[in-house]
Amino acid sequence: MEQVLKKRKHSKINKNYYGYIFTAPFIIGFLLFSLYPLVYTFYLSLTDMTLMSKSYKFIGLGNFKKLFEDRFFIQSFLNTWKIWLINFIPQIGIAMLLAVWFTSTRLKIRFVGFWRTIFYLPNILMPATIAVLFFNLFSYYGPVNQIGVRIGLFKDAVDFFRSSAWTVSIVAFIQWWMWFGTTLIIIMAGMTSISPSFYESAMVDGANSWQMFTKITLPLLRPVLVYILVTSLVGGMQMFDIPYMLTDGRGSPNGSIMTMNILMYMKFSSNKGHIGAAASVGVMIFLVTSISALVIIKLLKEKESKREIKRINRGVEGYELHG
Amino acid sequence: MNYTVKTKIMRAFIYFILVILFLMCVVPLWILLVNATRSTPEIQQGVSLIPSKNLLVNWRNLTNRGFNIWRGFFNSALISVSVTVLTVYFSMMFAYAIHVYDFASKKFLYSFIILLVMVPTQVAIIGFYKYMSILNLLNSYIPLIVPAIAAPSSIFFAIQYLESTIVKELIEAARIDGCSELTIFHKIMLPIAKPGAVTMGIFAFVGSWNNFFTPFVLISKMEKYTLPMLVQTLRGDVYRTEYGSIYLGLAVSIIPILIVYILFSRYIVNGIAMGSVKE
Repeated sequence: MEQVLKKRKHSKINKNYYGYIFTAPFIIGFLLFSLYPLVYTFYLSLTDMTLMSKSYKFIGLGNFKKLFEDRFFIQSFLNTWKIWLINFIPQIGIAMLLAVWFTSTRLKIRFVGFWRTIFYLPNILMPATIAVLFFNLFSYYGPVNQIGVRIGLFKDAVDFFRSSAWTVSIVAFIQWWMWFGTTLIIIMAGMTSISPSFYESAMVDGANSWQMFTKITLPLLRPVLVYILVTSLVGGMQMFDIPYMLTDGRGSPNGSIMTMNILMYMKFSSNKGHIGAAASVGVMIFLVTSISALVIIKLLKEKESKREIKRINRGVEGYELHG
Repeated sequence: MNYTVKTKIMRAFIYFILVILFLMCVVPLWILLVNATRSTPEIQQGVSLIPSKNLLVNWRNLTNRGFNIWRGFFNSALISVSVTVLTVYFSMMFAYAIHVYDFASKKFLYSFIILLVMVPTQVAIIGFYKYMSILNLLNSYIPLIVPAIAAPSSIFFAIQYLESTIVKELIEAARIDGCSELTIFHKIMLPIAKPGAVTMGIFAFVGSWNNFFTPFVLISKMEKYTLPMLVQTLRGDVYRTEYGSIYLGLAVSIIPILIVYILFSRYIVNGIAMGSVKE
């Protein structure tokens, strides 16, 4: 009997090696299909490899040196940030406003589920379709001009895709249009997980809704906002589909919507197929994104710990120093 | 009194904004669907919100010029279904391991997944391309399907989902009954986790169905084109003035997703919140 018990206990402990077996497919897949290509991209970025020639040589940081002297790279870097910021700021602003309205117990907005479902809809559509659709909607003889001229919004039809300002705005608008619903849903999930007792006691203390928003909602929402900021940044820095398909695939007009990813593709698909140079753009996107994400996380975390120290010093909430 | 009047005005204003946003989301798609049924002269004359009768002519025009929509559909469906199956199965397996077993690298793997969700992945495409060309896998679907085994965002979702779904007592009981670990995962865990698996599956499917960049870089043979790649050809010279056919091509590409969305929108909208960081 004792032996049986011992055996059972032994086998139960032993089962834990299944943890490795069950996670092995991911680890192998990750090493083969994610990590290795990434490392290989870093390696290629240090060579002058092209698609056409068989041999290549190691040229150190030559590609990067060229990139920093390349007007197009600087432009694509600025474009990517510009388009991302123009879309992200209204995106988080409007999503936040809608989330406050939808969760307000005073306003009692109806059909919240319906509105959210509709606002998320653009996100699920094929970016290729959206790009070609908006190209047609905003084309010279397209519906936007037809309506705009008829109702007197424009004097004459506007050639949207010959104007850098219009084209950048349209790309940013499409990105906003595709993502504000997602952001809204995530913020709402964060808001509804805040305990109502915070608001109740604030109301007892006579706080108005603005005070409650800035003193309770925003601080408690910070992790969610960091998540949205970082994931949006990661996506935004890799922006390709919409700006690529909206105009000629080279960021026209005047390279105004040439993102870093488009530049990478242009180098890759050029006549000679500059693999090395394209890889160096990829490495730059990787570094820019990772460093920005780390800075965001670090900055927002630091603020949090400082605020905590203040709280402890004031002793308002009875924090335990050793906790 | 004053307070309620203020609330009412505010409410009216909010509904006004909501209706505008509603129109912004729906009107472009409605124009797309309506224009798919109109002839080119009709489309050039002006905007209409009422369908016309040119659907069949547009369809003939569309399919006569090498736009092999069924082929594209088949290719995309083949890839997306395979990706969905692999992603759901292996992500669940990973998440299950994290929750059920105590092994040394568990904590590390969990933080690693969170890190990976935030790492840009498309940037390694050049290395991936070269690597696949060495393995002679360009113009093959293997590089589009097999990497789905390692999908960090799905795993992250699965970990969050399983946290509240796993019943440890049930697993213990099955062990005492002599079930193997793999049987427990298949026969007990997967059925319980079905709703989460459906949500994950929808996201994996939609992501793969809509993916343009990876197949665009890796695939060059026309007969292997996926649907987004075919849609992209609608921008080209072949259809320059055939607006009705262009809109029809676009409509066909999004109708399957629209149907999926109408059927499963509840799963999808709830799933987004679950797949994100809350704490």
